Amino acid sequence: MDSLNALLEGFATALQPQYLLYALFGVFIGTAVGVLPGIGPAMTVALLLPLTYTLDPTGALIVFAGIYYGGMYGGSTTSILLNTPGESSSIATALEGNRMAKAGRGAAALATAALGSFVAGTIATVALTFLAPGIARLAVQLGPADYFALIVVAFLTVGALLGSSVPRGLVSLGLGLMLGLVGTEVLSGQQRYTLGIPTLSDGIDVVLIAVGLFALGEALYVASRLRHGAVAVIPVTRGRHNRMSRRDWARSWRPWLRGTAIGFPIGTIPAGGADVATFLSYATERKLAKGGAKAEFGRGAIEGVAGPEAANNAAAAGVLVPLLTLGLPTTATAAIILSAFQTYGIRPGPQLFETQAGLVWALIASLYIGNVMLLVLNLPLVGMWVKVLRIPRPYLYAGILSFAALGAYALHFNVFDTLILLVIGLIGFLMRRYGYPVAPMVVGGILGPMAEEQLRKSMAISQGDLLYLVHSPFAIVAYATLALIIGLGVWLKRRKARLESTPTLVPTGAITAVDEREPEKS
Amino acid sequence: MTGQAPAPLDASASGGARVPRSARTPIGEYAFAAVCAALGVYAIVGAGFIRVPPGSASVLGPRVFPYGVGILLVVASLVVIVQVVRGHRGVPDEGEDVDPDAPTDWVTVAKLIAFFLSQLVLIELAGWPIAVTVLFGGAAWSLGAKRWWVALLIGLGLGLVTQLVFGGWLGLSLPAGPLLDWIPIFHG
Repeated sequence: MDSLNALLEGFATALQPQYLLYALFGVFIGTAVGVLPGIGPAMTVALLLPLTYTLDPTGALIVFAGIYYGGMYGGSTTSILLNTPGESSSIATALEGNRMAKAGRGAAALATAALGSFVAGTIATVALTFLAPGIARLAVQLGPADYFALIVVAFLTVGALLGSSVPRGLVSLGLGLMLGLVGTEVLSGQQRYTLGIPTLSDGIDVVLIAVGLFALGEALYVASRLRHGAVAVIPVTRGRHNRMSRRDWARSWRPWLRGTAIGFPIGTIPAGGADVATFLSYATERKLAKGGAKAEFGRGAIEGVAGPEAANNAAAAGVLVPLLTLGLPTTATAAIILSAFQTYGIRPGPQLFETQAGLVWALIASLYIGNVMLLVLNLPLVGMWVKVLRIPRPYLYAGILSFAALGAYALHFNVFDTLILLVIGLIGFLMRRYGYPVAPMVVGGILGPMAEEQLRKSMAISQGDLLYLVHSPFAIVAYATLALIIGLGVWLKRRKARLESTPTLVPTGAITAVDEREPEKS
Repeated sequence: MTGQAPAPLDASASGGARVPRSARTPIGEYAFAAVCAALGVYAIVGAGFIRVPPGSASVLGPRVFPYGVGILLVVASLVVIVQVVRGHRGVPDEGEDVDPDAPTDWVTVAKLIAFFLSQLVLIELAGWPIAVTVLFGGAAWSLGAKRWWVALLIGLGLGLVTQLVFGGWLGLSLPAGPLLDWIPIFHG
């Protein structure tokens, strides 16, 4: 009951008017940028990192939590209403949701996505509430070798080994580690790789790495191959018959729960985050569908929206478990949130629940509050977001560049940071251009220095005996899990590839025909 | 989309397959991988110059991790180069606003970089609001905004609002610039 009391105290903090406003601001911005194509949650959190320069830690983290959850909701609107797939975790939704929208059932698709996200988000937050303190208590006993093992697992699973091209993922990881090396070395106090530039002796700020790779790099890449012309948004027809019918509810609630059950555990392990969860959920729903529903897959089946959307949000909450209890980010977004913690000198990890209990529980309480706000923002107000989708792209990307410049300059009020940002942004652009994943680079840049510290601590304890790294049962389990995850990842990848080649996408004209037949069946 | 064979939704999932996009040598891909390998070499060479404090022979010194990073970069980049030689080209990222059939528009990228570089001079010389006006207006124009003066006006508005919110309200010391310095609300 300890955590229940602590949670109530968290609510007492999070319900203060100023924090409620921060939460509302966070979910609002999060949804807005989640809806905007090209901007994922990682980029949003990166762009808003300057807020940490002025807000108090609780306020800033509540804003980031809101953005994090809001971005997940917003992404589904985009993928349902735009003709092109959006962020990777909502591609499964795009498949069915987009087809539902084309058949005139966009409102129902949006509703099941929002409600599913709410159900999954709430259940997963409850799971987080009761799971996290226990894990933190266990994690207090972990030594440096165990942490090193965890970091290696994160390095190799976040993109590097689960991506499409393993060597490209490793290059990206290496570039990130290289950026992390720049600066003053902690133990002997000497400078490494600073090229004699005094500003670099403090190291390259993670804000620059995150904003450069996600905001600037992405904007430059999109600019290089911008889709010109009007934005094609599928219109949502309003009206009673377009809302979720009783039958839609009946078909949705089981996928919501199944999606949650699939998404949360996958989010907690470093296995590639929401991406894997949505695809597993989609595959499950397709397999379990019977009769008419089965025939609808590939043509706009509501189960194919409800399940993956729920899985997506549940995984997002799951990601917070290792982040808060171990200080281990398992996705790029989590890595950037971790860097926000670091800006305040707070180190997420097992001690967090003791040293910063007030902060953590206020953060968790704000997740519950944010979920309710998001439901309101996304169900009745969905029309507003549809308008956001139509923002002319030149202005959108010009705005992203401007905020990236603000974030870099406001860091130390030094234009040298702007220059570093541009260089990292160019690297990010070239990486996207030539098919390198950027997530491993961000994770490498943020976790690299931690990895070196833990490795050297272990070696100091063991007097240089490498076997010390695998002396504890925890480390052995971690490396064994890594092997397992890689095996599982290869299997999932094959499955995903197979899944993508099988759905029979019927011509758009035929969708209406299928839909017209439907009333007779029900 | 009508009647087409289902395109893979996420090209990267199809395993970085052989894409015979063009018969030309992918110079850019070689160059990028080569630069990464060179960075790795720099990491290894640079590690040799890091002083190892005396009396720490048995403990991991400040050189080991950099050596590891350098070796990782060199080996991984070489593997990428070998793969490209064998025809395994990188699959460019996808996105809602990315036109998969468009060739890379280097001119636009160069314009954006130029406008971004203008920040280095403008922020401290002309102040933040003006610098944002130039960056926003220039970027929107480069990306094909229909009316350049609308872009400039939005940029000016954005500059003034961010100056007001971040400089005045949140107290960041953004330079307001000589034109606006006399207005007190722009300072924290």
